[in-house]
Amino acid sequence: MAAPLLVVSNLCTYLDNGSEVVKAVDGVSFTINKGETFCLVGESGSGKSITALSVIRLLPYGIATHPNGQILFNNEDLLQIGDEELRSIRGSQIAMIFQEPMTSLNPVFTVGDQIMEALQLHNPEMTVEEAHERAVQALDQVQIPNSRERMHDFPHQLSGGQRQRVMIAMALACEPDLLIADEPTTALDVTVQAEILRLMRHLQVTTGMSMLFITHDFGVVAQMAHQVGVMQQGKLVEVGVVEQVLNRPQHAYTHQLLEAVPENLARHKNPELAKPLAEQQLIAEPLLQLRHVNVWFPIKKGVFRQVADHNKAVDDVSLDIAKGQIVALVGESGCGKTTLGRAVLQLEKPTSGSIKLQGSELVGLSAREMRPWRAKMQMVFQDPQSSLNPRLLIETTLTEPMQVHGIGSHQEERLEIAAKTLERMQLKREHLWRYPHEFSGGQRQRIGLARALVLNPEFIVCDEITSALDVSVQAEILKLLLELRAERDLTLLFITHNIGVVEYLSDQTVVMYKGRIVELGATAAVCGSPQQEYTKKLLAAVPRLALSS
Amino acid sequence: MLTYLLRRLLLMIPTLLGITMVVFSVMAVSPGGVGAQSMVDSNMRPEQRKALTDYYNKRYGLDQPAPVQYLRWLNNISPIGFTQDDSGKYTDFSFTKGMNLGESFYYGRPVTEILGERIPITLLLNILTIPIIYIVAIAIGVKSATQRGTGFDVSSNMIMLALWSIPTMLLGVLLLGFFSSIQHWQWFPTAGISSRAAKDMTFMPHWGSLWDIGKLFLGMLVGTALAVWLSRWQERSLRAFLAGVFGLVAGVWMAQAHASFSLFAWIVLPILGAAILAGIGWMDYKPFRVIGLGCFGATLGILFALQFIHDGFVRGFLFDRIWHLVLPVLCLSLGASAALAKIIRSSLLENLNADYARTARAKGLDEKTVLWKHVFRNSLLPLITIIAGLLPSLLAGSLIVENIFSINGMGQLAIEAVKSRDRELVLSITWLSGFLTLIGYLIADFLYTLVDPRVTYD
Amino acid sequence: MTKQIVSQEALSHRLLRKTLHGSGVKFALFWIGSLIICAVFAPFLANSMPLVMSKAGSISFPVLTYLTTEDLAVLAAFFTILLLWLAPLKFSFKVNLALFVAVIAAVVVLASLFLKPPKLVIYDDFRTPSYTEVDWRIMPPIPYAPQDYLRSYGGTGLEAPLSAEAANQERLHLMGTEENGADVLSRMIHASRIALSIGLVATSISMVLGIIIGGLMGYFSGIVDMLGMRLVEIFEAIPTLFLLLTFVAFFGSSLYMMMVIIGVTSWSGYARYIRAEFLKLRRQDYVQAAVASGLPLHSILFRHMLPNGVAPLLVAASFGVASAILAEATLSFLGLGLVDDPSWGQMLNQSVTSASFNWWMAVFPGGAIFLTVFAYTLIGEAFRDAIDPNLSREAGVQ
Repeated sequence: MAAPLLVVSNLCTYLDNGSEVVKAVDGVSFTINKGETFCLVGESGSGKSITALSVIRLLPYGIATHPNGQILFNNEDLLQIGDEELRSIRGSQIAMIFQEPMTSLNPVFTVGDQIMEALQLHNPEMTVEEAHERAVQALDQVQIPNSRERMHDFPHQLSGGQRQRVMIAMALACEPDLLIADEPTTALDVTVQAEILRLMRHLQVTTGMSMLFITHDFGVVAQMAHQVGVMQQGKLVEVGVVEQVLNRPQHAYTHQLLEAVPENLARHKNPELAKPLAEQQLIAEPLLQLRHVNVWFPIKKGVFRQVADHNKAVDDVSLDIAKGQIVALVGESGCGKTTLGRAVLQLEKPTSGSIKLQGSELVGLSAREMRPWRAKMQMVFQDPQSSLNPRLLIETTLTEPMQVHGIGSHQEERLEIAAKTLERMQLKREHLWRYPHEFSGGQRQRIGLARALVLNPEFIVCDEITSALDVSVQAEILKLLLELRAERDLTLLFITHNIGVVEYLSDQTVVMYKGRIVELGATAAVCGSPQQEYTKKLLAAVPRLALSS
Repeated sequence: MLTYLLRRLLLMIPTLLGITMVVFSVMAVSPGGVGAQSMVDSNMRPEQRKALTDYYNKRYGLDQPAPVQYLRWLNNISPIGFTQDDSGKYTDFSFTKGMNLGESFYYGRPVTEILGERIPITLLLNILTIPIIYIVAIAIGVKSATQRGTGFDVSSNMIMLALWSIPTMLLGVLLLGFFSSIQHWQWFPTAGISSRAAKDMTFMPHWGSLWDIGKLFLGMLVGTALAVWLSRWQERSLRAFLAGVFGLVAGVWMAQAHASFSLFAWIVLPILGAAILAGIGWMDYKPFRVIGLGCFGATLGILFALQFIHDGFVRGFLFDRIWHLVLPVLCLSLGASAALAKIIRSSLLENLNADYARTARAKGLDEKTVLWKHVFRNSLLPLITIIAGLLPSLLAGSLIVENIFSINGMGQLAIEAVKSRDRELVLSITWLSGFLTLIGYLIADFLYTLVDPRVTYD
Repeated sequence: MTKQIVSQEALSHRLLRKTLHGSGVKFALFWIGSLIICAVFAPFLANSMPLVMSKAGSISFPVLTYLTTEDLAVLAAFFTILLLWLAPLKFSFKVNLALFVAVIAAVVVLASLFLKPPKLVIYDDFRTPSYTEVDWRIMPPIPYAPQDYLRSYGGTGLEAPLSAEAANQERLHLMGTEENGADVLSRMIHASRIALSIGLVATSISMVLGIIIGGLMGYFSGIVDMLGMRLVEIFEAIPTLFLLLTFVAFFGSSLYMMMVIIGVTSWSGYARYIRAEFLKLRRQDYVQAAVASGLPLHSILFRHMLPNGVAPLLVAASFGVASAILAEATLSFLGLGLVDDPSWGQMLNQSVTSASFNWWMAVFPGGAIFLTVFAYTLIGEAFRDAIDPNLSREAGVQ
C-alpha cells in the first residue's frame, strides 16, 4: 500500500495581469505516493506548469493568489505555512528543476558554487570542505565524467545535457523527498533526452524519492509515469494509473490527445494518401538533384581576423528528391538540416556543389535570374511569431508575391486565389483583412502555408513547421499536408527532429549528423531496420507509447 | 585576450585620426580658416597688421595650405616622426621624438603645460561626482525595482524623470543664484574652487580653542542622535508629524536667513521644509529614512553649535576647497544619478524575473540573498556600458558647470579655445577627449570579461 | 467577391493607444500643444503693433504688413497639417507628405515674391500718435515685440516682473525685462518657435542621415559595414557639445546653420539603432520569406524591414528632439548661439552675467526649457514602454 506524500485538494490559482483575472488552475486534486512518479500532461496553456509552481509557491507574489485549496505535504498545508518554513522546505524536502537549463543556471557562478550554495543553505553546520565533497558526489551521481574538474566550470561551458544533469544534481544534493520537474527534457535533443530520462528513473529507484513530472509528450509519460493526470484549461479531466489512461482513456479530451500523437495517427491514415514511388518515377529525372553541396562558414581569428577554420554546417551532401515525394530530413540540433533546407532555396549561398531543379542549375545564379525559379520553390518556417510581417494585412502578404510573379491579371483575381487558398487551409475569407497578431500559432502556420501555396510551387521546404505547436494542432496540419500533396502533386522536404512525425508523414527519410548524411532511404526501411549506428541510436532514444492494438 | 586588446588599440588609431581630421576640416573650411587673421587686431594699421600676420605665419606655419598644416600637426603630435630644428626645417626621422602638442596661440604657452594645469581640476570634479552618482542611483534603483508599482516606485520614477530633464545649466544657475549671491542666501562662494586667501591657509582648519571643536562635535552628535532616534520610531504618522515640525522650523530659519525680507520665502520655505521632512519621515525605506533624517540632524546640530563658536576659526585649505566644490558637484551629480537610477531599475526588473532567480528561490534562498548575490551581479552589465559613456558625458557636463561657476578646468579651456579659434588647443583637446572616450570603451569591454564569464575575446 | 471589411486595430494604432494611456503623457502633450500654439501664432500673440485698428473710419491690420515669409510658412504648415488630420478623406502617408511639401513650397515661393515686409522695424513708431490716437484698436495679448527694446522709455534694463519702475512708466511686464529692455514673456513666446523648429528640423536631419547610413550598413554587411562603423565611432567619440562648439564658433550661428549643425552632429545614435534593427530583421522569418518569394529589393527594405524597425527609432527621436532643444539652449547660454533672435538659453545666460542674480531670467526661460525637455522625455518613455514586449506580456500567463 503506497503511502501518500503529497495530497493536492481542490487547488485554485488565479493570475491577475492587471486587466483581468485568469483562472490558471481551477480545482485540481491529485495524490502523489512515496517513491512514485506522477506525470501531469496537457497542451500549452492547460495550467500544468502553474500547478507545479503553485506547489512550492514560486509564482510572483502580487500576481498569483490561491483562493481555495489545500496542498498537504507531510501533513502540513503548504499554502498556509509561513515564509521561513516554506524556504526551509524548498530545496531540502521539495526540489524543482526547470525546462531551460541554460537560463536556469546563474551564468556568473561556477557549477560547484551553485551546488554548494544549496547544500550550505540547508545544512548550516556543514563546512566548506564537506560541502565541496558532497557536491562532487552529487555530480558523480548524475554521471558527469571528471566531476572534480567540472566543479570549476561555468554553465555556458557545458553542453545542454550536462547542464540539465547539473540542475538535477543541485536539486538532489539535499536529498529531497519530492522532485518537481517542469518539462526538463523538452529543450534537449532526443538522444540526450533518453539519457536524462534513464538517469532520472535510476535516481528514483536508488533514492526512493517521488517525482511530479510535467510534460506534453505522451511517449515520455509512457516511459516515466506510474500515475498520470491530464489537464485541460486549468482543470484535471482525467487521473489514473498510466496503463489505464493510455490504453483505455475515459475522457473525450484524453482520447483526442492520444489520437493526435503521430504514432497513433498512422493507424488512421488514409491509404490513398500514401504514395509509394511508381516505377516510371524511379527512372525519370528527379525534381531536385543535390551533388556535393557544401555550406561552410569561416571562423576568423587573430589580430587581423584571418580565416583560421571553417564551420562545416553542410558537408558534402548529395541527394535526389523525386516529384511528388515527401522526404523527411531528420537530425538533432546542429546537424545542418535547416542550413541544407535554406541552401536548397538559395537563401544561404552554398560554398560549393550543385543544386539542380528540374535539370537547371541554381547555384551561381544572380538574383534576377533566380526570380522565376523562386515561384517554383517555397518555404514554410518554424516560428509562428515571426513568420508573418506584423505590419501588413494578410491579403497584402498573400497577394504581393503573386503580383511580383505575374499570377492573376488584376488584384481582384489575386484576392480570389488568396481567399480560396485560405479556405482550403480551413480559415475564413474574412481573415484576409486581419493582422497577424489576431491569430493563434496554429492559424499563423496555416497562413504561412497559404503564402507558400499561392505561388503554385512544385517544391516546398517545411522547416520544423509543427515543432512549436501543440500535438492536436500538429495532427491537423500534418493531415492537411498529406491532402495537399495528393491534390497538387507537391514535393515536400520536411525538416524535423520528431521521429513519430517522420514515420507518419514521409515516404523517404534522410538522417543527418554533423553536416553529413548518415543514412537515407525509404522511411519504412530506415525506421524499421536502420543500418547505421547513429540511426539506431536515434531511433532507440525516441520515447514510444506502448500500443495496445 | 591579448590579441583582442592589440586589435582594439590598433583600431583606435584610424578613429583618432578621423576625429582630428573632422575637427581640422571644420576649422579649415569655415570662413576665416586657420589663418592668422583671427589673432590680429583689425584696429591696427595695415603695416603693423602685415608684420604681425607674417610673424604668426612664420612661427606657427599658418600660411601653408590646410592639408599641409594638418600633416605638420600630425607629425608634431606623433611620437615617431620627423624632428624639427629651431628654424623650422625638418631634419632626421626618429622613433623617439616624443609628442609635441604645440603652443597655444591665445595663451602663448605650450599646450602640455596648460593642459597639465587644467586637467587635474576637471578630474577632481568628476572623481568626486562618480561615486556619489553610483551610490545614490543604486539606492534608489534597487528600491524601485524590488517594490515595483508601490508608491515609492511611482513617485521616485516621476522625480527621477524630472531630475533627468532639468538642464545642468538651469540647475547651476539656480544654485548659484539662490545660494551664492548677496541677494539671497550667501552660503556658498560664487566662483572658482578655492578662495584667494585659502592659498595661504593651513591645510586643516584651525579653531580658536579646543573647546570649539568639542562644541561642534557635541552639536553634531546630539543632532544626529535625536534625528536617528526619531527616524526609528515605529509609529508612522507621529514620526512624519514630528519630522514635519522640524522641517517647518528649518524653513522658518532659512527664511529669516535670507538677505532681504521676502514674503515668498516666508510662506513657501516653511511649507516646503515641512513637506520634505514629513515625506522622508513617512517613507517605508528604512535606510533612506535613517540616513536622510540623520544628515538633517547632523547639519542642524553643527549649525546650532556654530552659533557658539567664537572667532579664531580659520577655514583651512581642505574645508575651503570642499566648501567651493559643494555646489558644482551637486549640479553635476543630480542629473546623472537620475539617469543611472532608471537604468539600474530596468536592468534589475529584467533580472528579477529571470529563470535563474526562480531557481535560486526554488533552492530556498530568501529574497534578499537572491537580489544581492544572484541578480545584482547579472545586472551589472548595463552599468558597465554606462561607465564607458560616463567619462565623455561628465566632460561635457563639466563644461557647463565650469562655465557657470568660473572654474578653470578643461571644460572652460575648451570653450575659450574654440571662441578664440586657437588651432593647437582645439586640436589637442579634441584628440585628448577622443582618446579618453575610446579608452573608456576599452576599459568597459575589459570589465565585461571580469564580470561575465561568458564574454571572452579571442 | 471579397468585401473589404474594416479590420481590427493595426499595430501602429494599438501602440499609439497604449502610449497615450498615462497621465504624464497627457500633460506632456498639453504642454507641447501650448508651445506649438505659441510658436505658430507668435506674431499675433506678442507684438508691439496693433492687430487691427480703426483710424478715421478706415480699418487697417498693421500686423499683417509686417509678417515675414517664415511666419506665413509656419502658419501654412500648421493649417495644412490640421486640415489633413481632420479631413474626412484619409490619404496614405506618402500622399499626405507630398501635399504638405507642395503647400509649403507654394506658400514660400508666393510669399517671397509678393510679401515685402520692411527690413528695419522701428518699434517706437507704434507708440507715436499715428498708432495711438485712433478710434479703437486691438492689441495682441502681450503688447511688446521680442525685439522691441523699449528705447522710448529710456534707460530700461533688467527689471523684475511687475516692478515699480515699469509701473511708473505705465508698462506691465508679467515676466520682467531683459538687459536690453525687451519684454521677457514676448521673447519667450517667440523663442518657442525657434526651439521647436530647431528641435524638429535638426532631429529630422539626423534621422534621415542615420537611417540612410545605418540602413546601408545593416543591409549590406562587409566593407560598407566596417567603414560605416568607423564613421559612427568617430562621431561618437568626440563629445557632442565640443563638436557643436567648434562648428558654431567657426561657422557662425544663424538659425538655419544651427539646425544643420545640430542635425549633423547627432546622427550616430540613429544609425546604430537602425543597423541593429536591420541585422535583427534580416534574420526574421518573414523577411526570409520575402526573399524566398523573389520580392524586389525596395519592397523588402521599405515595406518589410523599415516599418518594423522604426519603433525604437521613434523612441530615440523623441529623446533626440529634447536633446536638440537642449543643445541649442546650451550653445546660446555659452554665448555661441543666436544673437538677435530670442532664445531661452540666451535669456538664461543673462541671469548670471550681471552682479546681481536676476531670478526671473532664470526661472521663466529655464523653466520653459525644463518643461519642454521633460515633456519630450515623458513621451519618449511612454512610447518605449508601449513597444517593449516584456512589459506588455501578461504576468506568468502564456
